[in-house]
Amino acid sequence: MKIPLAISGHRLQSLVLIVVLLALWEIACKVFSIPSLILPAPGAIALRFDSLITTGTVWPHLLATLTAVVSGFVAGTGAGFVLGALLSISPAVERLVYPYVVAFQTVPKIAIAPLFIIWFGYGVASKIVITALVCFFPVLVSVMAGFHSTDRDQLDMMKSFGATRWQTLMRLRLPSAMVVIFSGLEIAAVLAVIGAVVGEFVGAQQGLGYLITALNFSLDVPGVFAVLIFLSLIGMLLHGAVRACSKRFVFWIQREGTHLAL
Amino acid sequence: MMPFSAESPSKQQCLIDAVSATANLIEVRGLEKRFRTRSGEIVQALSDVNLDIGENEFVSVVGPSGCGKTTLLRILAGLEQASDGAALVAGETIAEPRPDVAVVFQQATLLPWNTVLDNVLLPVQLRGERSRASMDRATALLSFMGLGEFTKKYPFELSGGMQQRVAICRALMRDPKILLMDEPFGALDAMTRERLNLELMRLWSEEKKTVIFITHSIPEAVLLGDRVVVMSPRPGRISAIVPVDIPRPRSLKTMSLPRFGVLCDEIRSMFGAELQAAFSL
Repeated sequence: MKIPLAISGHRLQSLVLIVVLLALWEIACKVFSIPSLILPAPGAIALRFDSLITTGTVWPHLLATLTAVVSGFVAGTGAGFVLGALLSISPAVERLVYPYVVAFQTVPKIAIAPLFIIWFGYGVASKIVITALVCFFPVLVSVMAGFHSTDRDQLDMMKSFGATRWQTLMRLRLPSAMVVIFSGLEIAAVLAVIGAVVGEFVGAQQGLGYLITALNFSLDVPGVFAVLIFLSLIGMLLHGAVRACSKRFVFWIQREGTHLAL
Repeated sequence: MMPFSAESPSKQQCLIDAVSATANLIEVRGLEKRFRTRSGEIVQALSDVNLDIGENEFVSVVGPSGCGKTTLLRILAGLEQASDGAALVAGETIAEPRPDVAVVFQQATLLPWNTVLDNVLLPVQLRGERSRASMDRATALLSFMGLGEFTKKYPFELSGGMQQRVAICRALMRDPKILLMDEPFGALDAMTRERLNLELMRLWSEEKKTVIFITHSIPEAVLLGDRVVVMSPRPGRISAIVPVDIPRPRSLKTMSLPRFGVLCDEIRSMFGAELQAAFSL
């Protein structure tokens, strides 16, 4: 197996690249004496990151955002999966509903976030709903695309062996669809963080999005950057979890090098 | 000839039963198939096809693309309905896929998330009859095809030729009377193809089956078949049926016999010059 070696080689190169970029950034800030209000140096951000942890300021906000991201992701992708599967199983319902699904998908969910604050309040509930809605569509669309992607020859094969509709669904169409569904889940994992933060921007008492607004207001730019690191960590964690699942569940697909373009 | 109807569904049409009970296992009478294309025009895929195939006979079907040979096979498999005329198995009109007919497609169509063994067991699992005996049969079939060590592997770990062998084992799993093969080795390289031809003949001599074998290759058709059905396109029809009077067992050496060359030439001459170019070998 040469592949793991190759990956670790790539990882090493990526690591070197980021270290070099950070060093250049640090040097540029020093040399051109850029005020930290405009662009703080990586060192200053690291210090602020550390102080957010040691003072314990970040934890309630991190917990709130994490709750919104994970609950919203689970609820949104779950609903997307169920509705997508139902639509795929019944072509008549699909023809009826799908145009509206597409039409509604084109509505920028972010733009209706203020409405959700009105409907579900300033607490975590509105963030969960916004996150769920943002995660819902990519999964719904990927489920439907996945069910449609079933190989025609495979369908003929199942039919020739006398498979019932249900058997064909469970043994062929669903497993084939999983490949596409997982790419929908990967997109949803990244969007989930955006959904939660936007909800917190619009109106919240807690959460990393709220923290960014507050720090920005007090001109604590290194603090804002430090919170961004936390947000990326949440996103990477969720995305990594989805990828790990996909490696396990759709193991027959060679996914090396096919990273999702976002 | 045989009480074939014993295991076929009773709901199927048995009108012609009395007439054909003594005749052939497969009968095709005045078969027509018309398709409507996207643009709305009607294409005649099969026109007045008549064919009788006896039990344990190996019939090759050869013809250029568009001659309707795959359509014929799909009708026999119950995957497609005839527009006119009749296709019968054991005297019964084919209305849906039958348990005593199995198909091997051009693509191996294995389920990538199942192991080789589970792929072979699929037909019995679909009918809820998985048992110790079926496990034994699956393992025996796989060893017969030289895949004994690969039962726990996944299809993507196998070569194309091995995948197609698994597909053949799967088709034989429920011991069908009839094996329909739609260019099963068409996607394989020439060496693998020859080896699989030999294995198929060995298999056929062990497990007597009625085989309809569709191919692009005239030598392959002659090597394998008791008879070669020659089809021509627009509209798809049978232009000749050539008996292959070369004794069995046959081997790759058969292909260097003068009689083999004569038969191939005879079949090749039935196609127009522009079609000959389409045939390799």
